[in-house]
Amino acid sequence: MSETFEPKIIAFVCTYCTYAGADLAGTSRLKYAPNVRIIRLPCTGRISPMFILKALQKGADGVLISGCHPGDCHFTHGNYHARRRWMVFRALLDFIGIPPERVKYSWISAAEGVKFAEFINSVTEDIRTLGPFEQYSQLIEQTQAPASL
Amino acid sequence: MSIEEQYRTRAKELLSGGAVKMVIGYGKGTTANRRRPLFISSPDEVERLVLDDVCITNLSGYLVSEGLLSDEKRVAVFLRPEGIRAINILAAESQLDADQIVIFGFDVNGNEVQALKGIHVEEFADVIGSIKEAAPEAAEEELFEKIEKMSPQERFSFWQEEFAKCIKCYACRQACPMCYCRRCIVDSNQPQWVNTSSHTLGNFEWNIVRAFHLSGRCVECGNCDRACPVNIPLRLINHRMAEEVLGAFDHFSGMSKTQEPVLASFKKDDSETFIL
Repeated sequence: MSETFEPKIIAFVCTYCTYAGADLAGTSRLKYAPNVRIIRLPCTGRISPMFILKALQKGADGVLISGCHPGDCHFTHGNYHARRRWMVFRALLDFIGIPPERVKYSWISAAEGVKFAEFINSVTEDIRTLGPFEQYSQLIEQTQAPASL
Repeated sequence: MSIEEQYRTRAKELLSGGAVKMVIGYGKGTTANRRRPLFISSPDEVERLVLDDVCITNLSGYLVSEGLLSDEKRVAVFLRPEGIRAINILAAESQLDADQIVIFGFDVNGNEVQALKGIHVEEFADVIGSIKEAAPEAAEEELFEKIEKMSPQERFSFWQEEFAKCIKCYACRQACPMCYCRRCIVDSNQPQWVNTSSHTLGNFEWNIVRAFHLSGRCVECGNCDRACPVNIPLRLINHRMAEEVLGAFDHFSGMSKTQEPVLASFKKDDSETFIL
């Protein structure tokens, strides 16, 4: 295959900050990589680690998670809870062998359209360099193979 | 008088006086080096209690059996330090009232069984504090360090090989005193987060979720590891998680019955070096 690898990236973002930031990037007519599928959630506190696993299970090469800066949460402390959870989950993924480079976290406010566009671009570039998540896609393929005894 | 004798006498007193309705301890197993949980509610049965260096199972999980403590009567239980920590966590998570639990504390040092002084969880604070100070190593320290030194790809292959053996019997969950959810995430099918068939992908997800739900709660009693019929070194993952919460949040699980659960609390200045 000579075509360049186009990574599939899933972004879980909070509606009050990062989604509004993405909106700003759009209305400011900033160009950024089209590899990201955004999923909007009420708060980063709503982002269960299961979402990340589900994204990988469905063949994502990378996952982004982004929300309000600490102190800016619409629900006052959803992002503080999320931050602790990520810290632990990140260590767990690393220990299991899922490279931390594939799951990225950031704070992007509603005013940071430029940061959003740059973040998407840089992560897409990083994951393109890493290449497809082959070890995981092998596991996914196994699930689709007919059962053998 | 041996500790076994002392505890039998104490159990007899408590049961005949009606101070406790049941004693959960260890009885003879099928082979010489095995012990099985024993539940006795009559003072005549105390002779069946055994206490020696092969009493390793953490019995605290039986305390959250449905209806056991709902009559507000007391229950006595044989516990090692990890078991006592488990009581603290269960109390902190409002799963039981620690005042209802009468503890027969003991620890095993080499082949020697030592009694731990105290009846209620609060009295064991020093014992638990000294465990934290001692910074316990992983059960299989050599293998643990080997995994830590691997590259992510090697680690993935290592766990892939281990998890490929998993048959999704959920014995690890059943044996764990912390896995008390009435409805486990793997039993929920709308949405179905984890695949029910035991192919490696689903096994990965199940084991990741299990370890995550135990982060900052696991007391490393090893019940899951011993229950695993295919010998997946589950304790190593749990140990890595315990190390992480201790390093990042100075949280040592089961320090007291009022300790805040680590993933249900936060500090405004928690570390966030990894967030862009």
